[in-house]
Amino acid sequence: MTAIAANAGWRIGIDVGGTFTDFVLTNAEGAIRVLKVPSVPTDPARGVMNGLGLAAEMLGLSLGELLARCAILVHGSTIATNTLLEKKGATVGMLTTRGFRDSLEIRRGIRENPWDHRTPYPEVLVPRYLRLPVSGRFDRQGREVEPLNEADIHTALATFREEGVDSIAICLINSFLDPAHERRAAEVVRENWNGRWLSVSAEITPIMGEYERGSTAAMNAYVAPRTVGYLLALDAELGKQGLPQRMLLIQNNGGAIPVAQVATKPVTLLLSGPAAGVGTLEYFSRAIGSDNLISMEIGGTSCDVILMSEGRVAVSDQLTVAGYHLAVPSVEVHTIGAGGGTIAGVDEGGLLFVGPRGAGASPGPAAYGLGGADPTSTDAQLVLGRMKPGPYAGGSVTLDGAKARAAVAEKVARPLGIDVEAAAAGMIRLLEQNLLHAVQRISIERGHDPRRFTLVACGGAGPMHGATVGRMLGCRRVYVPRLSGVFCALGMLHSNVRHDFMRVYLDRLAEAEPKAIERVFAELETQANAALTTDGFAAADRRLTRQIDLRYIAQQFDVRVTLDSANQDPAAIRAAFEHEHDRLFGHHQPGGIVEITKLRVVGIGILPPLPHAEAAPAVADSRAVERRRCYLDAARGFAEVPVHAGASLAPGHRLQGPLLIEELTTTVFVNAGDSLEVDASGNFLIHLAPA
Amino acid sequence: MLDPITLALTQKRLDHISQQMGWVMMRTSRSPILSQSHDFSCFITDGAGSLVSQADGIPIHSGGGGFAVRALLKAFAGRVEPDDVFLLSDPFVAGGNHLPDWVIARPVFANHQLMAFACNRAHQSDIGGGAAGTYNSSATEIFEEGIRLPALRLVERGKMREDLWQFLLLNSRTPQLLDGDLRAMMGSARIGAEQITTLIESLGLATAAEYFAGIMGHAERRLRAVVDALPRGVYRGESRYDDDCFDPVDLRIRVTLTVDERGLTFDFTGTDAQLRGFKNSSIVNTHSAVYTAVTTFFSPDIPRNEGTFRPIRLIAPEGSIVNPRLPAATTMCTLFPTFQIIHACWQALAHTAPDRAIAGWGPSVFPITAGLHRNGETFVMYHWGCNSGIGGVAERDGFDLFGPIPTFGGLIIPNAETDEQLYPVHIRRQELRADAAGAGQFRGGTGADYEVDVLVPTEVTFRAEGLRSANTYGVAGGLPGVMGRMTVTPAGGETQPAPTYGVRRFPPLRVTVASPAGSGYGDPLRRDPARVLRDVRDGIVSADAAKRDYGVVIAAGGRTLDAPATTALRARRAAERAAAE
Repeated sequence: MTAIAANAGWRIGIDVGGTFTDFVLTNAEGAIRVLKVPSVPTDPARGVMNGLGLAAEMLGLSLGELLARCAILVHGSTIATNTLLEKKGATVGMLTTRGFRDSLEIRRGIRENPWDHRTPYPEVLVPRYLRLPVSGRFDRQGREVEPLNEADIHTALATFREEGVDSIAICLINSFLDPAHERRAAEVVRENWNGRWLSVSAEITPIMGEYERGSTAAMNAYVAPRTVGYLLALDAELGKQGLPQRMLLIQNNGGAIPVAQVATKPVTLLLSGPAAGVGTLEYFSRAIGSDNLISMEIGGTSCDVILMSEGRVAVSDQLTVAGYHLAVPSVEVHTIGAGGGTIAGVDEGGLLFVGPRGAGASPGPAAYGLGGADPTSTDAQLVLGRMKPGPYAGGSVTLDGAKARAAVAEKVARPLGIDVEAAAAGMIRLLEQNLLHAVQRISIERGHDPRRFTLVACGGAGPMHGATVGRMLGCRRVYVPRLSGVFCALGMLHSNVRHDFMRVYLDRLAEAEPKAIERVFAELETQANAALTTDGFAAADRRLTRQIDLRYIAQQFDVRVTLDSANQDPAAIRAAFEHEHDRLFGHHQPGGIVEITKLRVVGIGILPPLPHAEAAPAVADSRAVERRRCYLDAARGFAEVPVHAGASLAPGHRLQGPLLIEELTTTVFVNAGDSLEVDASGNFLIHLAPA
Repeated sequence: MLDPITLALTQKRLDHISQQMGWVMMRTSRSPILSQSHDFSCFITDGAGSLVSQADGIPIHSGGGGFAVRALLKAFAGRVEPDDVFLLSDPFVAGGNHLPDWVIARPVFANHQLMAFACNRAHQSDIGGGAAGTYNSSATEIFEEGIRLPALRLVERGKMREDLWQFLLLNSRTPQLLDGDLRAMMGSARIGAEQITTLIESLGLATAAEYFAGIMGHAERRLRAVVDALPRGVYRGESRYDDDCFDPVDLRIRVTLTVDERGLTFDFTGTDAQLRGFKNSSIVNTHSAVYTAVTTFFSPDIPRNEGTFRPIRLIAPEGSIVNPRLPAATTMCTLFPTFQIIHACWQALAHTAPDRAIAGWGPSVFPITAGLHRNGETFVMYHWGCNSGIGGVAERDGFDLFGPIPTFGGLIIPNAETDEQLYPVHIRRQELRADAAGAGQFRGGTGADYEVDVLVPTEVTFRAEGLRSANTYGVAGGLPGVMGRMTVTPAGGETQPAPTYGVRRFPPLRVTVASPAGSGYGDPLRRDPARVLRDVRDGIVSADAAKRDYGVVIAAGGRTLDAPATTALRARRAAERAAAE
């Protein structure tokens, strides 16, 4: 399996979403081809194979020829997420330490919104009658104080057989200190149970905290049969059709992983789509010439915000999916309900609201004419002239301006007693303020000044709001990728392979034994090297990074420090910790005791970077295809603005706002005073006028 | 005439500012009660001390902040200057809820005019008094509870009053934490004030005041719309105290709710006189508890500012538990009697909208153990692992273990593994209780069976309710949850019942708690038999209890329902009941 690091041939990124499956193909020369096909939710593999067939056709190849010439195929799949959301997971049985069978159901009492005490928790993944106790205990120091009672395991297995359990999870107390009981329990299960799916907590994520570790193991067990079954079948089919190597998947941590290695840990795929945005940001950071980026990907119903600071996107151990708490390394993505389909209205007290509810794909905005009566952002944009009635998104829908206007008039303008254009402008201003708050949250809360960042506006609705939100943030530049609509699929082509390894290690930094720490790091590096070797990476293409999680004693939050040649000794590590603590929390404690909580090794398998395609430079001025009356902002109101066809813009073009650019699946808005530049790869850079 | 768009933008902006103040507090405060338990709230008032936004903060601080700002405006009438910072806490003279919660208030001026205050209220780590950590369960007077702060000008025109600062630090057992936390509070208020100034300047002075009024007016309309839909009338609620921190007692909090064109009037006339221990509720806390009861009863979407509370009127007789006279001790009030006030109000409200009724929660019982690590460092452990079950509502069963009532789940229960690393304890059990949850169409939460070995000698602070009686109630035919039990077994000694309140020293000991369960909502005979079967299979309800309480017959083998027998039994029960009536 050495072909993974091959350079020649096509790379294919496939992002299976709920509605569309996006394909992005690129080759060593940087040529990019994009394809969007409807997803087939009942049989996602068929959707993928159909799309690949069409992609091959587009290139004048047969499917077999395309696959045979494919160097890397990366798949971002919502299969694990959908398995959860559609409740199609396995019947799971769980072995727990006697006395602790209920942590999965107690959930540490966590509520997202304390004011809402009426909404029930999501269904517990493993019912209590299938969470069965096993005697045996390690104490707080990792000493065995009671041996594992194997008879309890046999008793549980009998119940599991009787109840038709098809996937087993094991989570025993203090297994993060010593996994011996979990390992032995796993052996007993394997020897005595003819099922296939076994999820052992400390093997998946050896963190401290029985709730999150157990919840992760239970979720893994729940999604495994369907997810892994699908992925292996698809991989086999691709192999049969000519793909010379195994496909790669995008994990929650933003890195890729070969399908074979993810088969034991499908829980690491729950954030697969949005996490690929990290690769996209890495790719654009080269074109933009800055590695301080905030992306705002706005689709129909939601906006995902990711922050990259000095080339790094924060990866934490916390992930919440549909109300379930998981502890697997995951990219920090902040999501809010704001998009093209976000619904506006007026509440009982006479106040305008926008979101968080959305109209979805059906009925969608009122303008779709599919029966939607609630006005959405898309409807407001039509009223404001920023979008144009008629066929949209390649003709898949037709926008009805009259229906949009009627909805805004009926549900917003009339109750507020204002005219329909003021109402539509108000909807957009409130939506953009919500977007601003979302970006401020992920930046300010983490100690970053958003003014230092370039805002990357993408997704179908992002380019419409990028300039306005960027100005409110105080950014100087907003980047709008031409391939805004396939943000994640594009990122998949630029993601390196990544494996995370971690061990809980509790000791005071000043007193820790360097040799003991070195030993743990060496073990983790051995694991990382083994994984990357299996993936086919030569030593030169592997990059191993040591990280250490630290905190002041008894503090709730860990701070992660990356070790490099500059900080190896405790004093230097402490200085790096204090520096980071200052940024995150605004202070540090000069005399405070610092303790180590975890040691980590991140193993990266470097795939050869793809060149940026140079688009053909402009040979003539771009001419507006029309002039349209459209809303600019609260101060300027409406104005006649030139509308340019995206296809007519090429590198070298520089235009003064206000203007609109119409692309196939998106519209870019540039305000008065701002200027637009088309960069060498054909993407748009908006230079914002100082506020 | 206000522009409705600007009104919506301004409301959201102010909420965002108060949230941002909260992030700053979380990031910069030092003591775990703030940075981990989030026992603080950030809020914004207008220039007259009316609460405009409190988007961040724990429920039991609801609407309380305005009292503090109005108290300081009274004390410093006409003498509030730009770049001043005020500090205050006393529940009798300074709009405080209880002594450990200190308020920092920073005035916001625009064009020399006092326009707003950016504030936060936060629980301090130690404020002197008779016990470390602010909770002196033997107090009978406020003077035993810590230092009392009237409205103080802590910073005068940008200059810290150093003498006052030293005086404050001198009165705390943890001056470093106090120093850090107060600075965090001031930093968060400063950032809030800067953003409010920007907002006011962008709106224009006169207009800004109108929009603040408009935001409160909107909230008032939201609550009035809810109240107007309620049947007019007079409704009652009552809850009990079975313990005054020293002895068993039988005291009542009685409330009469009048729903009329003015709104909701909660009249506590008939409530017993203030009690000996530190479980009296300051008038500010009584307001916050009533506001919390109302907002949790109705929709979480209703904004929570001064406008929301205008249609709510309180009558609280002086000298009673809910409005005590000096020198009553009050520190426990954010937990008890908040619990009793909220329950009394929920009972009264249940008559107005039975489908929204909330069954009683299990009272809280969690001991605190303090001692020394082997290396001589002090530790204080709250045993959150034995939180209680809460009541059922029409949307769900009660949650089985849940953060106590002032937080509504804002307090997250630690993992046993984490507690074992932080403290010298060995946790043996944390499981759902069997046959404890109050039966109902939606049953109560089970509460916990919790057992822990404390491995070193400790001082144990007891503050347990629900051990002398269940002290909870079912609604709409639901049954009350089962009361709690707590025992302690000192190393080498006999198992003995634990006291409800007080501080005792022990050698290493085992603490065993069965925490009180929540009560049920609705007739148990109407519970979906499939859910009863699931509870039986889960071992939460025994087959006998299923038959007795729910009229559900489980088939031999325990894995399936006996549907015909269930139908017959339920019909017979209904007939018996009809006959009895």
